[in-house]
Amino acid sequence: MHPATSPTAGAPAGRDHRTPLTRRRLVRGLAAVALAVPLALGAAGCGDDSAGGDGGPVKLSVFWWGGEARAKLTEDALALYTKKHPDVTFEKTWQANQGYFDKLATLTAGGNPPDLFQIDDNYLAEYAGRSTTLDLGSYRDSGKLDVSKFPKSLLEYGVVDGKLAGVAAGENTQGLVYNKTLLQKNGLPEPTTGMSWEEHIAWAEQVAKKTKVPGTQDPSADYKALWVWLRQQGKDLYKGKELGFTTEDVTKWFELWKDARDAGATPTPDVIHEGNSSDITKQLVVTGKSATSWVWVNQMPDLKKNTKDELGVVAYPGDPSAQWARASMYWSVFKGSKHKDVAVDVINFLNNDPEAVALLGTDRGLPSNMDLRAKVSETATDPAMKQSIQVESDLAQKFGASPQVPIKGHSKVKSELVKAAENAQYGRATPAQAAEQFVTACKAAIA
Amino acid sequence: MALTTAPGRTPRTGPAGPRPTRRGAGRARLGEGLAGYVFLSPWLIGLMGVTAIPMLLSLWLSFTDYDILTPLSEVRWVGLANYERMFTADPSYWHAVRVTLTFALIAVPLKLAAALGVALLLNRAWRGVGLFRSLFYLPSLLGGSVALAIVWVNMFNRDGAFNSFLALFGVEGLPWVSDPDWALETLMVLAIWQFGAPMVIFLAGLKQVPTELYEAAAVDGAGAWRRFRAVTLPMLSPVIFFNLVLETINGFQGFTAAFVLSNGTGGPVDSTLMYTLKLYISGFTDLEMGYASAMAWVFLVAIGVVTAVFFSTGRFWVHYSDGDDS
Repeated sequence: MHPATSPTAGAPAGRDHRTPLTRRRLVRGLAAVALAVPLALGAAGCGDDSAGGDGGPVKLSVFWWGGEARAKLTEDALALYTKKHPDVTFEKTWQANQGYFDKLATLTAGGNPPDLFQIDDNYLAEYAGRSTTLDLGSYRDSGKLDVSKFPKSLLEYGVVDGKLAGVAAGENTQGLVYNKTLLQKNGLPEPTTGMSWEEHIAWAEQVAKKTKVPGTQDPSADYKALWVWLRQQGKDLYKGKELGFTTEDVTKWFELWKDARDAGATPTPDVIHEGNSSDITKQLVVTGKSATSWVWVNQMPDLKKNTKDELGVVAYPGDPSAQWARASMYWSVFKGSKHKDVAVDVINFLNNDPEAVALLGTDRGLPSNMDLRAKVSETATDPAMKQSIQVESDLAQKFGASPQVPIKGHSKVKSELVKAAENAQYGRATPAQAAEQFVTACKAAIA
Repeated sequence: MALTTAPGRTPRTGPAGPRPTRRGAGRARLGEGLAGYVFLSPWLIGLMGVTAIPMLLSLWLSFTDYDILTPLSEVRWVGLANYERMFTADPSYWHAVRVTLTFALIAVPLKLAAALGVALLLNRAWRGVGLFRSLFYLPSLLGGSVALAIVWVNMFNRDGAFNSFLALFGVEGLPWVSDPDWALETLMVLAIWQFGAPMVIFLAGLKQVPTELYEAAAVDGAGAWRRFRAVTLPMLSPVIFFNLVLETINGFQGFTAAFVLSNGTGGPVDSTLMYTLKLYISGFTDLEMGYASAMAWVFLVAIGVVTAVFFSTGRFWVHYSDGDDS
């Protein structure tokens, strides 16, 4: 990063060797440093280049984010593909979620993107809108990509501007996770699906009073909670290329949570911020700083691993038909890939081959292929996995239609929501001011 | 990351260059010049390839809508639109400028004061002084490291070591790193704590001050403070100047700690949105590399202007021993 040591720092100053500093020497040294440092900034835009191998047997590059468990499962599934197609081998790269999209963007800029990569709905439109992803529509039509067993809405959720940009690697939905042990110990009722938001907050207040643990993590900065809430008000996050909500809607949302905070139902702003900015392993329900957290249902096993307490999960408050079968993540193919057909075949394999799907389990969400989903559910043994399958299958019957995939600029909309909501949480802005700030910033972001 | 200094990346001149062979006298001179360039070539190639060409490319990109994903051949020229947006339509840009200036204006002078103070203490011959010099220098060696920033965040969060220490005195601490009023201050303390690099330079400077001057001053009856004001400071002024310019540039470029503390967002509520972090977010998260390039160029010019201002005021307070300037 920035140079902590200066080039001259190491030069010993001899006691008997006194050379007075001359202006010229100093100026020269300074000029060199002053020039070199900002110069390096200019290099920000360049990616590195390395040629990919080609000819003869196919070597397909695959890139995904996740933890070690996912890496193991994915590697096993890909090895299975190689076993069945000995001429195809894989160059596998994976890393943690943080920094994944920086890396993917840089690889793309360097002209060396992976043939096959994992992507989520936050970025799918960004990539599809810039024609980075291959339109898989023709493969779907020709049957090379078999999606006949997919829920229709799940498949639809991979379509951007009429093109099939990504194929769901799994299905998940929003889930409100709560600390069962804590509630039972204190004789408190568990939250249920279908509770209204007001009921949820009243419940959380009750929990806070009895247990001294804040009942619910204020999710006002969480786009997926806002999204569900908006859909329950007959609005949406996006409508076509525009916002699907108004300043008034967001004001109401922020006010709802201001009241919750004032009533003592939520943690203090700095703790909320901690929850907003940390990864799944440090969610407040796991660290014991709140009785509930707002997550995706397929993250349950990960949450479980980090706490001794028993966890339960229900839908977000309000009408559960506002939730939908969301592609937890997609597989997409780079448009310029030299091995498009093979890459699509691998996607087909990962989604429809019984052995591969059994290997992958529910790590990326429920399997997209309904027949295989049923099979995986029957054979699941891990209790956390069983629970998330149970909850998601129950919720699946209440799902509404999928919204459109978030549009270009969505990543900025997400971060602007965090900023505006935290402004309100820390009391630096009224809900109305924060909403105004958010909507203005969103309009600029998606323009 | 993006801000790695060029010297680190540039291949150093090695023994790779071919030696000039003995030839006729006339050709020898030519050969000598050529040999010079050959010896220079590793550095030259490094400068051109790693620094100059990407830099020029980014200048061009700053006038385009480059978004990383679109191939360079398809970017659209947008003229001054990026610059216009930066100055007129992006409040968070000006916010980042404010955060960066606040950081530099407070952290840099305090860091230099700490460095000078400790250097004066360590500029004596007492037992173990070498150990202390190394110990004080250590934090700057770890300077830009991510690990150090993570330690810092953990030390200063609500349940961190710092608050436990405060609790010993019955003081209830704040969640320093997740409080928008204190997050930037926490970063400043981190920067100040790393005063080792300027300290070593100050130490070297102090060793250069001729002892006769102190002796003469003492004979004239000057006390310790007077000797410091009348001898040390003027004699040290070139070194102070050097450190000031260097640390100001470093201060402007603070990135790692802010990135780690805020998980790359500049939060809480943009309180740690340093200029370079804003630039990074624009380029890599928002995929607006053209806009980010424009920001980098404005930054370059701004640092250039600040440095020029330092140089032009330097003549009034920097004393050089070669006497070409009072």
